[in-house]
Amino acid sequence: MTSPTTIPIHLTINGHDHSLEVEPRVTLLDALRDRLDLTGTKKGCDQGQCGACTVHVDGERVLACLTLAAQVEGRSITTIEGLAEADGTLHAVQAAFLEQDAFQCGYCTPGQIMSAVACIREGHAGSDDEIREYMAGNLCRCGAYPHIVAAVRQAALEVQS
Amino acid sequence: MTIHDLRTRHGDASDGSADQVGGRLSRVDGPAKITGAAKYAVEQQLEGLAHAVLVESTVPAGKVRAIDTAAAEGAPGVLLVLTPDTIPPLKTASDWFGTPPPDVPYCPLARDIAFSGQHVAAVVAESFEQAVAAAALVKVSYDEAPAVADLSDPKAGDGIAIDMMTKEWGEAEAAFAAAPVRICAAYNTPREYQAPMEPHGLIAAWQGDRLTVWEPSQWLDGMARTYAEWFAIPFENVRLVSPYIGGGFGSKALALSHGAVAASAAKMLGRPVRLVMSRPQTFTGYGGRAATRQTVTLGADRDGKIQSIVHRGVNETSMGGMWVEPLGSVTSVMYATPNFSSKQNVVRVNSVVPGAMRAPGENPSAFGIESAIDELAYEVGIDPLEIRLRNYAEQDPHARKAWSTRQLREAFVAGAEAFGWARRSPAPRSMRDGNQLIGWGVAAGTYPVRRAYGEALVRILADGTVEVESSSIDMGQGTYTILAQTAAETLGVPADNVVVKLGDSRFARAGVTGGSRLAGIMTGAVHKAAGAALDHLVGLAISDPRSPFHALQANTLVVAGGRVSSPRGDGPEVSIAELLASVGADQIEAKGDTMPANSTAEDRYKAYTTIATPLTHTDGDYSRHSWCAHFIEVRVDEDFGTVRVSRVVSALDSGRLYNPKLAESQWKGGIIMGIGQALLEEGIVDRRHGRIVNNNLADYLVPTNADIPDIQTISVGIPDPHSSALGGKGVGELAIVGVAPAIANAVFHATGKRVRDLPITLEKLI
Ligand code: FES
Ligand code: FES
Repeated sequence: MTSPTTIPIHLTINGHDHSLEVEPRVTLLDALRDRLDLTGTKKGCDQGQCGACTVHVDGERVLACLTLAAQVEGRSITTIEGLAEADGTLHAVQAAFLEQDAFQCGYCTPGQIMSAVACIREGHAGSDDEIREYMAGNLCRCGAYPHIVAAVRQAALEVQS
Repeated sequence: MTIHDLRTRHGDASDGSADQVGGRLSRVDGPAKITGAAKYAVEQQLEGLAHAVLVESTVPAGKVRAIDTAAAEGAPGVLLVLTPDTIPPLKTASDWFGTPPPDVPYCPLARDIAFSGQHVAAVVAESFEQAVAAAALVKVSYDEAPAVADLSDPKAGDGIAIDMMTKEWGEAEAAFAAAPVRICAAYNTPREYQAPMEPHGLIAAWQGDRLTVWEPSQWLDGMARTYAEWFAIPFENVRLVSPYIGGGFGSKALALSHGAVAASAAKMLGRPVRLVMSRPQTFTGYGGRAATRQTVTLGADRDGKIQSIVHRGVNETSMGGMWVEPLGSVTSVMYATPNFSSKQNVVRVNSVVPGAMRAPGENPSAFGIESAIDELAYEVGIDPLEIRLRNYAEQDPHARKAWSTRQLREAFVAGAEAFGWARRSPAPRSMRDGNQLIGWGVAAGTYPVRRAYGEALVRILADGTVEVESSSIDMGQGTYTILAQTAAETLGVPADNVVVKLGDSRFARAGVTGGSRLAGIMTGAVHKAAGAALDHLVGLAISDPRSPFHALQANTLVVAGGRVSSPRGDGPEVSIAELLASVGADQIEAKGDTMPANSTAEDRYKAYTTIATPLTHTDGDYSRHSWCAHFIEVRVDEDFGTVRVSRVVSALDSGRLYNPKLAESQWKGGIIMGIGQALLEEGIVDRRHGRIVNNNLADYLVPTNADIPDIQTISVGIPDPHSSALGGKGVGELAIVGVAPAIANAVFHATGKRVRDLPITLEKLI
């Protein structure tokens, strides 16, 4: 719906281009979930406290609830839906999460996985303690933490080899 | 008649394949959850969806004098502003026991304010952003009244005695007075919050007088009943859909006022309406765990044998509602004592009515008794593990019945061995590593086996695949997976060939998912339904003249790996699909339930939509509980008083495990929530305004990954035939029980300071 208060924006998400008319106050999170039917990215708090909304912008982890959609115009956004390969082959982190049972309800999981991919890429998966520290921004109330550490450790070894 | 062979399984490696009950099958709903494909309730994309945002009271007590909605109504995109005056009155619904309600109107927006955060208005707009902005423009004025902020408010008083919580035997007071060793202490737990990562919310949509609600739910049939009663429509006209639930921990079992607001708005607008609480609203939109106070008095011999327990408990409830957190539940079953007395009061405060949070009752109860027995151990100079064994209850001391199974001694032995308890130096402050004081603590936990009823439908399709349907739910416990395993094992097909459908109230019915009862009930129902379907399949194969087995004259057949053959292997071997094709059947369907025979439709409705008909855990000859023992190491910084949990070994008796991989996850989740309870979690009340001030995830501290060490869990359970059809006992709630006292006991061992007031924060130690 166009109105005087909306602006046109163009987002590149998981390699696809999307054009949207949104109010400038619309967050990347709500743009993904409510306008683009990309609901894999979760809203746990909407105030930057839980990590459920973690996505990658130009390869770096970012909280989509604290990012305006208009801020990321022209930048490359990756969400959980874009992590596996086109043929459905899971990313090493996704496969490790399944194998290690690194989730229960699954609501924090997309954010955990996006964080984990970045954590490994940043070189912060060198030890269990380092993984715990660099994954501490993603809350999991189901308490999957020990299994998340195991999954990140396993995926880091696979990604590096 | 059962004409197929049911094998006994034990929930361990001897059970073989992951496809079967007891196997370590990975979550079957896992692929959807790790790829973002799993659509949670409020993520449905509906045409014409409008967005509602709640406005809450900012005072804890009084009356709404006026609500000025003009600015909000004039804001861009606003469709509707609801207040107590403009929302159409609903009918009052029955409570969860099904008690007939008073015939008075129900208004989900409040005129009379009983707590800060109560819903007083709502704004519905075209977009979420517009609704949020307009909600901020609603101006509410109040005639404020004095409030009781919390249990420590001088106006709180002693409260109301709850006589049905009284448990007494022997002469507790006299025996205490006569005992050579006496311990008496008060133990407190604060308000705590379930804080599931998925906030509460829903989408409501009407078609004529039919209502569909997409809402995260621990109890589809119970919530559908409430919606039906509110809007005075038949139960069948309400459909609840809840395919995945982003955590509940007790908080998502009931239809609440925000649901009534959203459904009312949808009806008024003739459009689907989505309403999701903001994270701060989740702290007052429904109740967390009530704050509690307990006094535990132990009288004992010099050798540590308990002679008397006198226990008094208090929990907070709201001004208008009643919540009883059963504080004497563990106190009355954990240890043998000839004399016992437990009584409980509730105190009304200006808060939302508290609710169920992981092991309501058992959790705070264990903090009292498991701390107190530790204090007794030091008083008489006996090892804290040894004193628990000396007072071991060989039968249920309260019900005076044999335990169905109680592997608690085994849990103590296995846990102590794995932890290295024998190397513990007994004196407080006697173990250290540099400036860190090290403490080792132990505590036990228990949770009763709650049993009720459920139904399942099993359908064998023409292609040989199997569907299982039930209106029960999976909020992370693994229901999808264990029901697939149960159907696969019973039918003799690979679990890959089974599709489990849950979370739709149109499916075969189920009661509440709470009290760790779901797995035991639903594996029983699916086992029964699948057994009936298999009987039907084998019966057709033997008797239908078109069947390749007809000429065999066999009286039974074997189904394994999705293929049918004769037991002696002397006939043909065909796939289920080929067999169905040969007899011209396009599917086989069977329903199974765990209800008593001859149950009427009314009995079933009551069993699935209320909690009025559960079987108590002490029905018949046995007392049924799951049990656990936690061994925990803490490191306390001597200068700063910071406590870190550095090691956890827990040995648990949940009976037979349907899937050990998933059960271990749930146990660890409970232990982690217990670490949060012990060290971090506390709803802080601003006494001036009766408000929860830390109503967000940065200030209400739940454990992060960096707070949690590696955790070892050991299963010591054995199949318990008295607890469930397949031998399992409760898993989900058990493991949190006893964690907080194990940590408090470890902190005492490390520092010599006994903290009886959770959470154990640094200012209590320095
Ligand atoms: S939803 Fe963005 S951090 Fe919680
Ligand atoms: S899996 Fe439920 S919150 Fe992490």
